Amino acid sequence: MIKAGQIDKGMGLLIKGAPYIVVEREFVNPGKGSAFVRLKLKSPTTGQTLQETIKSQDSVEDIEVVDHNYQYSYNDGEYFHMIDEDTYEDTPVQMSMFEGYELLMKEGESYRCTTYNDEIIDIQIPSKVVYLVAEAEEAIKGDTVQGATKFVTTETGLRVRVPIFIKQGEKIRVNTETKEYLERVND
Amino acid sequence: MAQKKNIAELRRRLYANIRSFFDKNGYLEVETPILSSALIPEPTIDNFSTMFMNEFLGSRELYLLPSPELYMKKLIAEGYGSIYQISKCFRNAEQVGRIHSPEFSMLEYYTTGFDEKDSIALTIRFLRETALEDCGIFEREPEIISVRDAVLKCTGLDLDLLQNASDLRSEAVSKLFMNIPSAEPWEDTFNRIFCTFVETAVPENHAVIFTDYPAQINCLALQNGNYRRRWEMYVGTTELANCYAEETSVQKVRDYFNEEYRALVSARSGTEKVIPDSDPTYANIFENFPACSGVAMGLDRLLMLEAGLHDIKDTLLFSM
Repeated sequence: MIKAGQIDKGMGLLIKGAPYIVVEREFVNPGKGSAFVRLKLKSPTTGQTLQETIKSQDSVEDIEVVDHNYQYSYNDGEYFHMIDEDTYEDTPVQMSMFEGYELLMKEGESYRCTTYNDEIIDIQIPSKVVYLVAEAEEAIKGDTVQGATKFVTTETGLRVRVPIFIKQGEKIRVNTETKEYLERVND
Repeated sequence: MAQKKNIAELRRRLYANIRSFFDKNGYLEVETPILSSALIPEPTIDNFSTMFMNEFLGSRELYLLPSPELYMKKLIAEGYGSIYQISKCFRNAEQVGRIHSPEFSMLEYYTTGFDEKDSIALTIRFLRETALEDCGIFEREPEIISVRDAVLKCTGLDLDLLQNASDLRSEAVSKLFMNIPSAEPWEDTFNRIFCTFVETAVPENHAVIFTDYPAQINCLALQNGNYRRRWEMYVGTTELANCYAEETSVQKVRDYFNEEYRALVSARSGTEKVIPDSDPTYANIFENFPACSGVAMGLDRLLMLEAGLHDIKDTLLFSM
């Protein structure tokens, strides 16, 4: 058991007997009220999210989760195949649990994952990732309007709005939360 | 470093705009103590204490103020008229997070002859006229909605019909599927509902003003039936400002001090928390107190919103 005030992002909690992972945590002090912790929780079994507001002083049941490195191998349209870097065991993860992650994860890359009972319940994607521009629209010649943008597609299939000077084969840094272009990366 | 220097410049500009607004509108800027021998008893706000030590005068405990309200009201009672202050405030054990820091900057302004509705109009004008360039949040008219209507809209529960703790609790458990410990006070269940369903529905780039808070939440705002004449302004989940039509009855202020001091002592006895002294004669200043309305606004939060930042730490040059 831990106090709600100690809860942090990435922790596992048992709510009404079911395991949840903490996706978001915010401290709230309503005007003239006690201190609360507002949580967004995700069920690793159903993928459903849940909002909970708990008093900081209340106790909640936490569960033992373990962080571990996995290599993303490939996806078969239904499962991400994650290879345990210690045992080389393939741990399939339902893609529907991590919507859109196929556009962010790079095959062969290592990811820190949170596991509970040997199942992956969270995949941590760094907030800034460098991607290769696999496809880029040609910039219209003579288009010198400041702030002009176009779309490119990364090697993972993610479409990103970028400045027009970005070309195919170049590398760009992307904010994986907002899917926004940050900068061009020169090797 | 360049970014922090930029923030220092933005804060300077914002404060200059604030001072110019209140000077133009006839408010007197005041500076009141932040170290005090007594506080307004507020059981939900933990305090900092320190020792005054003097070989000849003796030692005594002093407290860092969680808001300048205590002294600003003394000035109003003395006939200072409308006043404002930018000051540092201190709240102990304040959860350190995206919008909380134990030491923070607050703007408080009191307008004599005003009620909470007048303060809404003033605050909207204030935010528009003092906003930094490129901040579009306060150009749009804020949405104004009563707490009762907001709770009804977001959850379907009617607070008017759920005035006792067990009714509110059972509706929240059965209709909103919330986990609520039994025997929870009404105001805690209300706050849970409000934080979970109402605060989270406020749009990120638009201000919403919630008016008429439940009377069960004891405070120094005038009561009107089941509610109190106060409002809070939010932008997204960030609570930015809080306003009262101020209580002016000596007896009601005295009762408030007695009840809240008792609650504070009972909650903190046996813990390491500071139990600040309260001044039993404070209520007497209301013997000759004009009708007025006060607004408290978190300036680090305001700067955070106006500069497009997402964490209060990014507005501070140094943080814990």
